[in-house]
Amino acid sequence: MTETASANPQPGRRASGGGPALSLRGVRRRMGRETVLAGIDLEVAAGRLVVLRGSNGSGKTTLLRLLATRLRPHAGTASVFGHDLVSEAEAVRGRVGLLSVTGGSYPVLTGRENLGLTTSLTGKGSDDDAEAALTRVGLAAEADKQVRYYSSGMKKRLGLARQLLRDPDLWLLDEPYSALDEDGKRLVDECLSEARARGRTVLLASHEQDRDALTPDAIVELAGGRLRLVAPAGTAPR
Amino acid sequence: MNDVQAVLAIARKDLLQELRSRAATVATLFFTATTLLMMAFALGREQAVLASATPGVLWVALVFAGVTAAAQSFQSDLEDGAFDQLMTYPVSRAAVYLGKLLANWLYLAVLGLVLAPVALTLYGAALPGLGSYGLIALAVALGSFGFAIVATFYAALTANLQAREALLPVLMFPIVVPIVLAAVRATEGALSGALSPVGDWLLLLAGFDLVYFVVCGGLFHFVVDE
Repeated sequence: MTETASANPQPGRRASGGGPALSLRGVRRRMGRETVLAGIDLEVAAGRLVVLRGSNGSGKTTLLRLLATRLRPHAGTASVFGHDLVSEAEAVRGRVGLLSVTGGSYPVLTGRENLGLTTSLTGKGSDDDAEAALTRVGLAAEADKQVRYYSSGMKKRLGLARQLLRDPDLWLLDEPYSALDEDGKRLVDECLSEARARGRTVLLASHEQDRDALTPDAIVELAGGRLRLVAPAGTAPR
Repeated sequence: MNDVQAVLAIARKDLLQELRSRAATVATLFFTATTLLMMAFALGREQAVLASATPGVLWVALVFAGVTAAAQSFQSDLEDGAFDQLMTYPVSRAAVYLGKLLANWLYLAVLGLVLAPVALTLYGAALPGLGSYGLIALAVALGSFGFAIVATFYAALTANLQAREALLPVLMFPIVVPIVLAAVRATEGALSGALSPVGDWLLLLAGFDLVYFVVCGGLFHFVVDE
């Protein structure tokens, strides 16, 4: 039997198209011979923040990559803001932004050049916006240094700057707190709170249990390839 | 965001990366220099033999250098998950392919245009006229374009495989044989000063380029979307 996780406590707060921000029905995905996602059902309304928990290798990254259109589902249906993940992938990519564990930047380019590429390829933001994003994440002084000389935490901050610049409708974050110092973690919390205030939807995979500033609408856990609702919508994790 | 801007942004990014890291440049220059010198010694001192071997040696050096450059163009993308990030931008897969193809082609064409006069001088091949320079440049442009089309496609296909260095030439060399043969013949014709066969080989080269461009461009999303 497939379990259903719904993070949709306020049906009034929905995407402009009238549907949920993301909707997965019976999504299955194999990686090699292993079935990582074995029938995922998930519906998240626009403007919600959902935390995705699960042990290492449970499939959190696979699920996020699938929602970012990097992986195709092998079965089931999936849509983001009403756009099918497979047949309307380009439209989906226009509305989602993924912050990966490694930060996703080009090591040989500078921080500023990496954000310049984001601006060029998304059509969002300007040089001033990129500068503001770099300042916000505390990298203004390091902006012209090649990313290969950044620490892991700085790479993560640059990834966060990219998210701020893109400001997608659906924020997908894979372990955004990893490698960050306490200031960096607070910065992530602030950015997520602000994104929510702007009506953005957030799906956050994290092992962090005690982020006081983070009050998710729901917590779901991925185990055995299936999602389970841990904390009901509107409940803060403790 | 239109696709042309995306293509140019991706190509610029790839060229900038290569300019900074020189990862492919060092390897390809060293390889091509070694190939030209070793072949010159192996072929002996007879001027006619050296001159007639020039087109073949030039393209052997370019082909092997091209494999290294194409493989490198995806390796730098795969570090720190940057390629994953690139593929989540709202640009078509065709634009990503064209951007990488443009960068690989420019790199190979410049390498070929630098290498050709060096090879001609080293092997003592005399050019019948100034027009021959233009024909050789055209052969290099069309040949390197065809080669880059296939190399970019197969470099993407093998980028995530463990044995990619071994698999890339094994998979792509049988496919690029017609392009390399036509390029060698066109270069040979340009050196001999016979315009008619050169035109035929250049047309054939353009035909191969067109076919490969359509096929590889159309199939690219299958190799990058998992």
